[in-house]
Amino acid sequence: MSNNKIDILSIVASKLGSKVEIQPGHLSTGTIIAQNGLHRDVLKAMIDADEKTGITAITGLDLGATIGVYYHVHTSNAFVTIKAEVPKENPKIQTIVDLHPGAVFHELEVADLLGVVFEGHPTPGHFVLSENWPIGVYPLRKDVKPQEVKLVPTPASEEIKLPENERLVKIIIGPQHPALLEPEKFAVTVDGEIVTKVEPRIGYVHRGIEKATESRTYLQDVYLVERICGICNSIHAAGFVECVEKIAKTEVPERARYLRVIALELNRLHSHLLTLGHAGLEIGYETLFQYFWRDREPIMDLIELTSGNRVYSSLMTVGGVRRDIKETDIPKIKSTLKTLRGQLPFYRQIYQNEPSIKLRMVNVGVLKREDALKLSVVGPVARGSGVDIDVRKDEPYEAYGEIPFKEIVYKEGDTWARMNVRMDEVEESINIIEYAVDHLPSGPFRINTARSVPAGEAVNRVEAPRGELFYYVRSNGTDMPDRVKVRTPTFANIPSFLKTAIGESIADVPANFVSLDPCFSCTDR
Amino acid sequence: MTDTKTWARVKSPWVLHFNSGACNGCDIEIVALLTPKYDVERFGVKLEPSPRHADVLLVTGCVTQQCAERLKRVYDQMPQPKFVVAIGACACSGGVFEGNYNVLGGVDKVIPVTAYIPGCPPRPEAILDGVVKLLNALNPPKPKKEPKQAKQPELPKEEAKPEVAKPEAAITQTAQQVVEEVKPIVKQ
Repeated sequence: MSNNKIDILSIVASKLGSKVEIQPGHLSTGTIIAQNGLHRDVLKAMIDADEKTGITAITGLDLGATIGVYYHVHTSNAFVTIKAEVPKENPKIQTIVDLHPGAVFHELEVADLLGVVFEGHPTPGHFVLSENWPIGVYPLRKDVKPQEVKLVPTPASEEIKLPENERLVKIIIGPQHPALLEPEKFAVTVDGEIVTKVEPRIGYVHRGIEKATESRTYLQDVYLVERICGICNSIHAAGFVECVEKIAKTEVPERARYLRVIALELNRLHSHLLTLGHAGLEIGYETLFQYFWRDREPIMDLIELTSGNRVYSSLMTVGGVRRDIKETDIPKIKSTLKTLRGQLPFYRQIYQNEPSIKLRMVNVGVLKREDALKLSVVGPVARGSGVDIDVRKDEPYEAYGEIPFKEIVYKEGDTWARMNVRMDEVEESINIIEYAVDHLPSGPFRINTARSVPAGEAVNRVEAPRGELFYYVRSNGTDMPDRVKVRTPTFANIPSFLKTAIGESIADVPANFVSLDPCFSCTDR
Repeated sequence: MTDTKTWARVKSPWVLHFNSGACNGCDIEIVALLTPKYDVERFGVKLEPSPRHADVLLVTGCVTQQCAERLKRVYDQMPQPKFVVAIGACACSGGVFEGNYNVLGGVDKVIPVTAYIPGCPPRPEAILDGVVKLLNALNPPKPKKEPKQAKQPELPKEEAKPEVAKPEAAITQTAQQVVEEVKPIVKQ
């Protein structure tokens, strides 16, 4: 990285001086308390100073008399939280969408769940909750009890507004659609075959997990946050327990850190193989789908071998992992990975050179580097557009700092590049697991921790298979968290699809869409 | 005629998958069922995208507020006879999400369920087992030998009533009856 030297906190301090309060070192790099609309000035100063500045998440939380709106901002080498507060009676705050377009969904979510009004937001309205959600009930506020909310099922037949221009046709994809495994709705407006507009409607899988964590203990929450996503479940658990460990200042044993890396990389392996196969299905290349899923099964067996279950491993726990790897299992792990490695040249050859793949993927859904930065996309989508962000490298967690591996970056920015990033990461994951198994330190794999966690707050970023996963946990000193905020990678990546689909053929929508590796159970929580 | 219909249903049940708010765990296991290792197509089971052609509705996940009406609508669009299989702990009862503000509960809160397959997520083998059980319930294997029944003590005979011809009796059982028959068997 070229601009490693930027000290973002001192730049903000020199520009805004005493108007804002800066707490270096609190919540990763630092926290800036900016009241009375100054959050915009702080953000502007940061964007001007560093082109990689982007919004990771916006956390809304009930602080009693006020509602906190925390902007979590990442730059090329720092992670800063800008804290603003609004009164509960009149929760109005200026939008930041004009400064940073990637914030558009984050603001909608906070508006829906906490009732904060973002003045100047381009598309206000329900985003997560349904259209006939009771007015004035904001589920994440502390005075709302989940059992007392009276639910009225959303009518299935909604009014569809037809486009005014007669040339345009609106195609509704979802909520139940053969191309989508999950219920979400995308209204695609087409002019002939060319897409002119995409309007997403998420929230069909919204289960209120963030609220549910507040009424369960930390140990129960580990199992609950795992169930945000059935594909990348280990990384959710890891993101949460690391946050709790940061608040409680727990030192995780060396062996546990390596065991976690093995579990996380196995998760990444199976997730990437799943997507690479699924992409084949979406472009009508079903043989490829069957091949990839055949080779994914041995990885599922490895997950079962090391953790006891195929899908939900429940391996992570506060203070370490729940299960050790047996010495007798290591040969099996190595031989399975060796077999998979032997298959990779064949698959790589298909993804690099196969004409049908190239016809359907090259130059489809091109996301330029500038747009990728502006929209704050993460993970393989960003790396496919030439943005070298990978939390495992930028802010190493667990044992990633000690394990050598390559960061895969492609410059093309199209669907082909995004899929090839995943293709190459499969091999890197195999390398990482083999290195971790060979260098597994001895010693305990878990330490006992107290049930209650001291009051405090922490942020944590981890690299899920789909990109950067963000956790914010606030503790009030009891055995239950006060607030848990999750920003999942697909939530950050959807805006890029809305941009790249426009101007392309409707037939390319599935391939383009699946190259994001969308996961809506993550997005909605 | 009944035998032919049962044969057709048992040999090629087309399934429709609906996610009513699942975490993808069960969904991916359903897809895994179709892939080479488990290969559910050898039982004639085919994943069908349209509700209008489907015999069995596989539902995963707790029912969220937004999905409830959709689920009901998809169920209504399916032709008779139809069967619903709730896959996973959430679809059976709401699972860990029971009591959350946007969750109505299990699938049976919205539509009648024929078979429940618990697990978080159920292994592909378990789903396969559930499907086979459902198929067997539609077409119970005939016992090879009728066990000899002990002779019933003769009861005083009732007066014979004049028999009324019932043409309906010859008609094949209705879907509701099939569902009623299947329920106790599958629930075991």
